[in-house]
Amino acid sequence: MVNNKKLTNALVLAVALVALPFLIRVINGNEYGVMIMCIMLVYIIAVSGLDILFGYSGQISLGHAAFFVIGAYTTGLLNIYFDTPLYITIPLAAVFSAIIGGIIAYPASKLKFHFLSLATIAFGELVFNFLYVSPGGFTKDYLGIQVIGISFLTDYTRWYFFLLFWVTLGLLAKHSLVNSRTGRAFIAIRENTHAANGMGINVHWNKILAFMISAFYTGLSGALFVHLIKYISPETAKQKQSVLFLTMLLFGGSGSMWGPIIGVVILEILLELIRPFQEYQMFFYGALLLVVIIALPGGIYGGIKDALVSYERRKMGKNLPKSGDDNA
Amino acid sequence: MFSYLLVNGMIIGGIYGLIALGYSLIYRASGLMSFVQGDIITFGAYMGLTFYKVLGLSIYASLFLTFACAFALGIVLEKGVIRVLLNKNVMPIYIVLATIAISFIIQNAPQAYYGTVTQRFPQVFSKSSITVFGVTNQTEAYACFVVSVVLMFALHIFMTKTKFGTAMRAAAMDPLAAEACGINTSLSTGVTWGLSAGIASVAGMLLGPMYGVYTMLGATLGRKGFAGAVIGGYGNMYGAMLGGMILGLVETFTAGYWSGTYKNFIAYAILLLFLFIKPTGIFNEQAIQDV
Repeated sequence: MVNNKKLTNALVLAVALVALPFLIRVINGNEYGVMIMCIMLVYIIAVSGLDILFGYSGQISLGHAAFFVIGAYTTGLLNIYFDTPLYITIPLAAVFSAIIGGIIAYPASKLKFHFLSLATIAFGELVFNFLYVSPGGFTKDYLGIQVIGISFLTDYTRWYFFLLFWVTLGLLAKHSLVNSRTGRAFIAIRENTHAANGMGINVHWNKILAFMISAFYTGLSGALFVHLIKYISPETAKQKQSVLFLTMLLFGGSGSMWGPIIGVVILEILLELIRPFQEYQMFFYGALLLVVIIALPGGIYGGIKDALVSYERRKMGKNLPKSGDDNA
Repeated sequence: MFSYLLVNGMIIGGIYGLIALGYSLIYRASGLMSFVQGDIITFGAYMGLTFYKVLGLSIYASLFLTFACAFALGIVLEKGVIRVLLNKNVMPIYIVLATIAISFIIQNAPQAYYGTVTQRFPQVFSKSSITVFGVTNQTEAYACFVVSVVLMFALHIFMTKTKFGTAMRAAAMDPLAAEACGINTSLSTGVTWGLSAGIASVAGMLLGPMYGVYTMLGATLGRKGFAGAVIGGYGNMYGAMLGGMILGLVETFTAGYWSGTYKNFIAYAILLLFLFIKPTGIFNEQAIQDV
């Protein structure tokens, strides 16, 4: 029975996901909505990557946009200078990003919370400055780089299904990682570093591994992003984009499969809604962020879960005899 | 050339030192990291502009009022946002994010009145430039240096010689024990945030005549202040001043003898190097390493 129900749910979800872009195309009359959905899909990969780092292994990164940009520039520059085919450069971009992540993580994973965030901010600024004034200008400096995109993905609906494939793959991989020995080691480190160490988990190595996997996801996402938008500039490596990723993660709820998805979708919609404010966008974004942080510190996902739990409790409480105030 | 770079490096280093001081004070008092500090520089610059240029007050009155406003802002931030979150027992990342959210607001709000154009801060002194040790500079640049040094000394005396300063240090060291001795720790933490904000705002107002006033003025400077604080040893007042000074000098000298293009790159590289190799900084502040 349970399996049947699960299967039906999965089928309904699949049908909805397939029908959605066509529906939006019909309602909107153009592809803008589908493009936003494509961006959401790309961001889901990046934020899921950040979730592996922050939600599961408990390390903070305020410079994750740097990995995003590293992925984008790796595939972009390889294409521009060497004309390397995309099916090589996109995976290569993710791998390169993971290697950089490992190099940064080796010393950085020893730092305490606040100082890790400081180090990652500095890393993001370093990447930005490097791309902005690169030696010999091989990154085209402040102009950013333009690519021609992927030839067989002629419209955003095709892109949607292409990205949907990657997101599904990424989330399945994340699911099996989280439920593996390594995933459990990450969670143990998050909960208590010293206890994890005592149980024979190699804390330093696992922290580096989490960083590398996370950078792999984010690098892949950046590599897909640059071909989707056909342009990227060094500005993306700055703190603002990293904060956006982190906000999406926290907004949806960290350490879960659905959290990043919910966070990305809701925040992208909100960002589209405040777009008409133009130059005051950041003001509303900041105000929104502040309100959410103060009102709903567990994220949307956590908030819904809490509400459900308290609802269940109340339902059960009705059938129980009253027993004073010992729950408060 | 050398003396020119030395003087200029010390001037900008003094500013970095002031900003770094704010970070260190907050870390000392509450064990938190405020990412809004950089944008309080911007806030101070705009406040100074409002009082001095728009309202036409004297420079001393504007300086004092700017300090007072930022002081109030710091206390409001601590009591209205940080304390509320701390009482809710949220993950520390939310506090970091809250300060970032406030920094977005501060970066964006002045646009409503001043727009996005860089505002010129009117000249403060009648003499536009003076020469010290054969180095000619804007008068405001020297004033900047003098004020930052005076502020550092004043802060040192306040923290070590007055009763309230001692109480503040005690509250930072061990809140519970301080509370038991009858110190109002809530008040002293608030005042620390206020002081840090006040210092940053003064730095911002001093920078106005040199750099002009624009919304992103503090964002980069704030991160340089960070770097200064880490170099000196995060949480150490004197380390912050020294670290800021070192950073200012290194930056100016690389710009002078090599190239100005890599100025920011080098500053962040130094910050990362210190974090990775000597995270306790020059003054060996034991606050950073985990495992």
